[in-house]
Amino acid sequence: MKKLSVFIAMMCAVLVLTACGSGGNSSANDNEVVVWFHTSLETPEGEAMQNTIDRFNEAYEGEYVATAEFVPRSGSGGGYEDKVNAALTTGTLPDVLTLDGPNTAAYAESGIIAPVDEYLTNKDDLLPSIIEQGTYDDQMYAVGFSESGVGIFYNKQMFEEAGVDLDSLPTVDEPWDWNQFLELNETLHNEFDKPVIDMGFDDKSEWLMYAFTPFLWSQGGDVVSEDGTTAEGILNDENSVKAITFIQDMVKNGYSTITPVDKGFHTGEYAMKFGGSWTIAELEEYPDIEYGVMPYPTSPDTGELVSPSGSWQYAMSASSEKQEAAGALIDFMVSTESLSEMSLANSVLPASYSAIDEITDQVSDEMNVLIEQNAASAQARPLLPSYPQVSRIFQDTISDATYYEENSDIQALLDDKAAQIQSVLD
Amino acid sequence: MNINKKENIAAYIFLAPALILLGLFLVYPSLLAIYYSFTDYYLLTPNDINFVWLENFIAIFKDPIFIQSLKNIALFVVLVIPIQVGAALGLALLINKQRKGNIFFKVAYFSPVVLSLVVISVLWLYLLNPSEGLINNILVNVGIDPQPFLSSPTQAMVTIVFVSAWQGAGYQMLIFLAGLQNIPGEVYEAGKIDGVNKWQKFYYITLPLLKPTSILIMITTLISAFKLIIQPMVMTQGGPMNATMTPVYYIYQSGFSDRMIGYASAMTVIFGIIIGIVAIIQSRVSREDDN
Repeated sequence: MKKLSVFIAMMCAVLVLTACGSGGNSSANDNEVVVWFHTSLETPEGEAMQNTIDRFNEAYEGEYVATAEFVPRSGSGGGYEDKVNAALTTGTLPDVLTLDGPNTAAYAESGIIAPVDEYLTNKDDLLPSIIEQGTYDDQMYAVGFSESGVGIFYNKQMFEEAGVDLDSLPTVDEPWDWNQFLELNETLHNEFDKPVIDMGFDDKSEWLMYAFTPFLWSQGGDVVSEDGTTAEGILNDENSVKAITFIQDMVKNGYSTITPVDKGFHTGEYAMKFGGSWTIAELEEYPDIEYGVMPYPTSPDTGELVSPSGSWQYAMSASSEKQEAAGALIDFMVSTESLSEMSLANSVLPASYSAIDEITDQVSDEMNVLIEQNAASAQARPLLPSYPQVSRIFQDTISDATYYEENSDIQALLDDKAAQIQSVLD
Repeated sequence: MNINKKENIAAYIFLAPALILLGLFLVYPSLLAIYYSFTDYYLLTPNDINFVWLENFIAIFKDPIFIQSLKNIALFVVLVIPIQVGAALGLALLINKQRKGNIFFKVAYFSPVVLSLVVISVLWLYLLNPSEGLINNILVNVGIDPQPFLSSPTQAMVTIVFVSAWQGAGYQMLIFLAGLQNIPGEVYEAGKIDGVNKWQKFYYITLPLLKPTSILIMITTLISAFKLIIQPMVMTQGGPMNATMTPVYYIYQSGFSDRMIGYASAMTVIFGIIIGIVAIIQSRVSREDDN
């Protein structure tokens, strides 16, 4: 009996403790700010962040102090975002936090983050895609600390085998249009008689939104209207139909596949792959593959090069009582030095023009193609509070289109998806 | 009286841990879900919750993905119950006899139950890989065309049914085994004297005497089958073309990716009612059989 009551008392104590475990993060000192990072301190990205914080504390000694907390996010974005959501409910957000690009609109609209324009000393130096991604209602709420992009990785040996002249390949200044790109695929397909490009169709995630919206944009189509209120008549207009038809043709003609072999490009199975700066890092472990990177193909009607972009950003929480210090920290973290350090450490694309100048000599030619394409043509994904739903419906659209037998009528498919997005927006 | 009172108090003390935990993690969240289902609770604005009454419910009945997910789960339940319960019974009968190496088979059949569903799903992803997977290699070797399995809208759910049945059957097997061992030996002896053959023995003795066990298994399997989420989440992300989207997965996405807690709560309420109705029908049907 005694043991039991001790046990019950302990249980109650545990329950009470867990209920009150989330203490406030704000400290009494006005100059001390807390920042949450979505990564682990063990990663190159985390190390670069910690270094930046250390330099900040040195530079502003006696004035401001920043403390970093690392809250790694799990594969599908849980972990970190769960913690942010919980902190919202209990009112314990840190002064500065990181957030993914597509979250800007939802966080700004909900009054979670505050505009940072007035604290930025180098706003003009930031890439247009970074400004676009962080701006909601004409105010800049969040600043990306790196950029990302997708290029077409190609296997030089396989290209030569198929008789493709490597000198004739497109550059950022002179990209190829879809027809030229389809011809290239045809040549390779004839030579190898199997799928020749891994476009990541098996990755049913944000990737399908991120990597495939540029095809719509190049053609002059879009997912939703500029003001974010309409999808019907936009996602199902003739331009979008043309772009999605091009994507479907890639699968229908057997150039690409919905079930690519894992690491197929790395092992010489496919001659091409849609990849980003992370692919360059992966390929370091496959020294046998000699590869190059070329830019996205463009719509034959416009010839306009548009490439994917977006990344995580820094923002200030609206509930912070130390906005001066938080603003100074964000400004410091997006300085040329901090951004260059981040790009080099984590092998990601730099977020500002001055950071590009700083690192361009220190990275590979392939990385420079991505950097160049990014600076010239990156477009941010739409800023919508209901972004997660819109993105998922668009992902379904791409995924469904690759089932060309079931969805041979692209117009009907897009009419249906546009109506779904419209009901989310209304 | 005094003793009774004391015993009552002791009973409540013994019940307390379970009641506290149930209340905290089951009753309280359920009541909250019902409350939120009538509101526009958006995850990012926890301090601005307004009543919208039936708006969520009306929207749900117009939501093609939710309707699709209900059809999907119905197909899953209808397929998985006979396969999983049948397999469990078969395995239980196999290892019920005293034989060398029985323990090995018992452990082998049960081990998938112990493994995490995520591990199982990833494992099967490799086995079912269309170009490099073991299953397709075997099929090709016996002269059958490689199958798309998870990337085919028509095969994906059926594939998940088999993976789930394979994973879950070991657990029901153990319960069946306990049921089998509870059947008194005399009944079989009596049957032997009457000269029944093997099939008659199974059909007229084993099966009827397993009935109480079977009812328990059917109800628990049914309810857990409705909760399907991990396998599609890991293996197909609800695709292709929403063919493996399940209600619980969609509720999870709406609540935590889309941040629409109110909407997700309303779906939870609807889905809870559906499971409740099905469970009641099932227990009614099995009770009528009894009489």
